[in-house]
Amino acid sequence: MGWETWVIATFSRTLAYGTPLLLGTLGEIYAERSGVLNLGIEGMMIMGAYSAFAIAYTTGNPWLGILTAAVVGGAFSLIHAFASITLKANQVVSGLALTMLGLGLSGVLGRGWEGKPLPAPLGKITVPVLSDIPVLGPILFDGQNMIVYLTILLVPLLWYILYRTRIGITIRSVGENPATADSLGINVGRVRYLCVVVGGILAGVAGGYLSVAYRPAWTEGMTAGMGWIVIALTIFAFWNPAIGMLGAYLFAALYHLSFRLQPWVSPELLRAMPYAFAIVVLIAVSRGTLQKRMGAPAALTLPYTRGEG
Amino acid sequence: MKTKVALIGVVALALIFGLSALTVAKEYVPGEPLKAGFIYVGPIGDYGWSHAHNTARLICEDIFPWLETVYIESVPEGEVEGYIDKLIQNENCDVVFTTSFGFIDGTFAAAQRYPDRIFGHCSGFLRVPNEMTYMADFYQIYYLNGLIAGALTKTNKIAYVGAFPIPELKRHIGAYTIGAREVNPEAEVHVRWIEAWYDPTAAKEAAEALVAEGCDAFAFTEDSPTVVQVAAEHELPSFGHYSPMYQFSPEYCVSGQLVHWEAIYLDCLAKVYAGVYTAHNLENLDYWWLLREEAVEMGAKPGMLINPDYEDALKAVTVDDPVLGTISVYDLVMARLTQMTDPSMIFDPFSGPITDREGNLRVPVGSRMSVAELTTMEWAVDGVVGPWPGEP
Repeated sequence: MGWETWVIATFSRTLAYGTPLLLGTLGEIYAERSGVLNLGIEGMMIMGAYSAFAIAYTTGNPWLGILTAAVVGGAFSLIHAFASITLKANQVVSGLALTMLGLGLSGVLGRGWEGKPLPAPLGKITVPVLSDIPVLGPILFDGQNMIVYLTILLVPLLWYILYRTRIGITIRSVGENPATADSLGINVGRVRYLCVVVGGILAGVAGGYLSVAYRPAWTEGMTAGMGWIVIALTIFAFWNPAIGMLGAYLFAALYHLSFRLQPWVSPELLRAMPYAFAIVVLIAVSRGTLQKRMGAPAALTLPYTRGEG
Repeated sequence: MKTKVALIGVVALALIFGLSALTVAKEYVPGEPLKAGFIYVGPIGDYGWSHAHNTARLICEDIFPWLETVYIESVPEGEVEGYIDKLIQNENCDVVFTTSFGFIDGTFAAAQRYPDRIFGHCSGFLRVPNEMTYMADFYQIYYLNGLIAGALTKTNKIAYVGAFPIPELKRHIGAYTIGAREVNPEAEVHVRWIEAWYDPTAAKEAAEALVAEGCDAFAFTEDSPTVVQVAAEHELPSFGHYSPMYQFSPEYCVSGQLVHWEAIYLDCLAKVYAGVYTAHNLENLDYWWLLREEAVEMGAKPGMLINPDYEDALKAVTVDDPVLGTISVYDLVMARLTQMTDPSMIFDPFSGPITDREGNLRVPVGSRMSVAELTTMEWAVDGVVGPWPGEP
């Protein structure tokens, strides 16, 4: 088998599997940049997956499903926002609670939805002329769906907003030094609320992508830990959307290859590889020098109360 | 006054504990209403293993007016004992079924602690007077599906996505390979492991990896319809597993393995109710139920042995069988099905000579593998390609 088929299969699977990871990571980057750690990604994703499937199934429109997933993910994240920003609860506890709530609630609501095929899943796109380009064509323009493209477009957009606009500076300053931001007249709570909700919306869409596009079906617990990979990828990304894209796709490539390479390398070792990669990266990132240069938002996980900063 | 209060307290405590001890020590009286508890390893919404056990539970409850059932789902394998305590002490179950191999030690320990309750452990091998074992096994059906896959493949590469490399799956892959090579000696079965019973994204990428390898017929053992869906996306034939999966791929789901756990549960519970099975005579009771006992069924969905879309293709391929002569694969499948459903089980796929992929003769001419050999099988049948952890 020629090298082209290896390259094509690996990269096109990387895009397909990496998309929900990337969506979740982009959202979490925004939430954490504003100073709010949200460990509820898994919960928001699974709620998005369930609601997208239920709506796409009943209406026959997958995009309506995705839209619902966005709304549900955003609404669900408000629970975390309310607890951790307004009530100043511990962000770790509140986020974990969100994950448990999402897994449990979607399990209960999803009873009876399993084993149903989706009549109209999100369509795959083949771009006429472009898909004929050797190697690149089959990877990028043959059989991917619209969300894959929209997610890629989102990366430069979110990067630009974060680093090149006033909104971005506001978000980052709230995450670094909320007291100073507050003294400049920025509404710290409102910025944080917005960022958490953006994170929720993107996590919801990531879940919806899983249930109406990637593998169009509902089964309980179908996100299977993806939300936790997102948390690790956010750190790997140094809270930068562009690096987040690199990390998500790198993880996805390793994930796919962990099945492809099994005839040559032990499956147990391969299946651990993507996770080992995440751990190695986390260790590297948490080392002193690196941390100083590109570290976490200084106020991450710290609730802000005026006058106590 | 104080001593009086203390005394009353002691008496009250004694009464409470005495009563609970009494309820716990109650042995089932045949003919009385029966309560059975089920412990599942996964969520009942998995549309796979746990879903199938739960479907069977509901059928039993429907059929037997004297039966009450309760269940606990998603129980971690190491924590099963505590959940058994709950079913016996709080729910007062007379019979407890634990439905995962990993519950083996916990169930065994509980059976010793509650010698007057009846336990059933699915897919295990530890038995005592009050604990039996049971399994509805698919190996015969994997063999039949293998015959079909061998006839349908054009690349001679057949795919199999497996959960864990344990004897149950190795036996299934072996039977599937034996079937495929009976029809098509060039066929190889390419295996990938996902190292999980339930992980839809892993199943998806494993199946995609096999598509990229050039495989063109798909079977699997894991608890979701993912592989059938992936095969359908690539317009390739597949075999459903555990639950009817035809609806996920009406054009490409050729056949599959369906389970009827209720066959075993109904038989067992009826015999407990009648007093045939008690907490004192289960030591040698091992349900190893197959096609003959109707605990398993071949089909894309109940009643559909082979997807009609594939009938012509399977009738067009013929093989020379030493006994049956020149026969189409379609007729061969039907003939083998009849042979294996026969009370005397005229045919078994694990009949010698069978060599493993290292070239060692594993089953000599004229002998069949025993149930004990099948349930501990670690070697790979000749024709299996890919990783095989624990290969002897």
